[in-house]
Amino acid sequence: MNRDAATSAVLGLTCLAAWEALVRLGQTSPLVLPAPSVVAHALWQGLSSGYLWPHIAHTLTEVVLGLLLGASMGFVGGVVLGESARVRRVFMPYVVLSQVVPKLALAPLFIVWFGFGLLPTVVMTALICFFPLLENIATAMQQVDAHKLELFRMLRASAWQTLWRLKIPAGLPHIMAGLRVAVVLAWVGAVVGEFIGSSHGLGALIIAAQGSMDTPLMFAVLTVITVLGLAFYQAAQWLEQRLLRSQLEVSKRAKK
Amino acid sequence: MDQFLQLQALHYAYPERGAVLRDVSLQLARGEIHCLIGRSGCGKSTVLKLVAGLLAPLDGQVLLQGQTIIEPVPEMSFVFQTPTLLNWLSVLDNVLLPLSLHRAVTAADRVHGEQLLAQMGLAALCDDRPQRLSGGQQSRVAIARALVTRPAVLLMDEPFAALDAITREDLQRDFLALCQAHGTGVLFVTHDMAEAVYLADQVSLLHEGRIHASLRIALPKPRHTAMRYSAPFNALCAQLRQAMDATL
Repeated sequence: MNRDAATSAVLGLTCLAAWEALVRLGQTSPLVLPAPSVVAHALWQGLSSGYLWPHIAHTLTEVVLGLLLGASMGFVGGVVLGESARVRRVFMPYVVLSQVVPKLALAPLFIVWFGFGLLPTVVMTALICFFPLLENIATAMQQVDAHKLELFRMLRASAWQTLWRLKIPAGLPHIMAGLRVAVVLAWVGAVVGEFIGSSHGLGALIIAAQGSMDTPLMFAVLTVITVLGLAFYQAAQWLEQRLLRSQLEVSKRAKK
Repeated sequence: MDQFLQLQALHYAYPERGAVLRDVSLQLARGEIHCLIGRSGCGKSTVLKLVAGLLAPLDGQVLLQGQTIIEPVPEMSFVFQTPTLLNWLSVLDNVLLPLSLHRAVTAADRVHGEQLLAQMGLAALCDDRPQRLSGGQQSRVAIARALVTRPAVLLMDEPFAALDAITREDLQRDFLALCQAHGTGVLFVTHDMAEAVYLADQVSLLHEGRIHASLRIALPKPRHTAMRYSAPFNALCAQLRQAMDATL
């Protein structure tokens, strides 16, 4: 395992070195492709001067709010759709419709509706990341083992108990897989939302850097977005492991 | 009437399969073990679900101590074909699930659960996760879970069918001892003739949705593994086999 991780790191460093060498030897203009060292310098300057921080905070706020909104919509929607075949038949076509409509094309409309602040981007982010969660939860609800459902009926469990003590824990791996996808998509939603209707945030910064031909800054911002996206993904994974483990710990505590 | 559990002229049909049970009647005395045997698809499992109140009969009724069963009741427990344990709970919490769904689990409940697991030979595995257990051990946990509410009647739907022969025989022995200790009545569905003869006081043969034959098993109790090789045991197996062959 450790050896593979080391190989992976070496591979990444080799690519960076090759990129650096190529740019230096080929005399490529930094306007087209800046060397990693130039990007690193731009990044360091942006961070140390405090220029990047307000933008990072802005986008982070959008992602977190959008994710909270989208994930709660996805969770509730998924549970409702998963519990009732009737609701599913009535609403599913519209849920799919809402996902087939290119949401980025809705951004101008959101600006009309919600103005230029945080709100349009938050709504956009929520709309993009609610679907994978909804889909996964709805599926997980329906895939619960029929014998276990019968067991809960035999034990005279209420619908609410069957949901919280059987369907949700049984579907947790599915649900968390949906959340991991949602976390990644949230960054896409926020950044692209800012491309269109914002003067703050990392997405807006990329557009601004493009306007002033500051390619190293574009790369620096891309790096920031990537690192933050990775951090969110890792956090989702950590949460998944924690939830799965805490189920065991709860049961251990109950014993004492 | 001292009959504890009565099945009176049960009829049932699945919408997509048509009639599966016609005029099924059975009696179970308190603490009696009654095996229901038959070929696959003869409606055995349906009988259990009707008794459990998981399905409602189209005609006829199930009476437990004179009360009509229309939905699951706490006096009856069901053991399914698969162990249906919850992976996210420890073995002991799985056993205590029937209690914890309805009230706070007390220290006495936990002691009782641990005792049942110990009687099933699983004392050391209380804190383990069920997926780490073997198939036979999981079946034992499922039985302990069914008994934790001290039910008057246990409904068993081929719970040992997936186990190897030796594990199955050990389980049958331990299961029988536990039921006798608790005075639990059992309606046990199986397609294994030796299992039926070994466990039962009474065996009923179900064929095409009807009770085709009934056989009293007058072997002494408690039963031992050695009995499986005795002449009376084999004679009863042969008798059952003949009854089954007659249904062909």
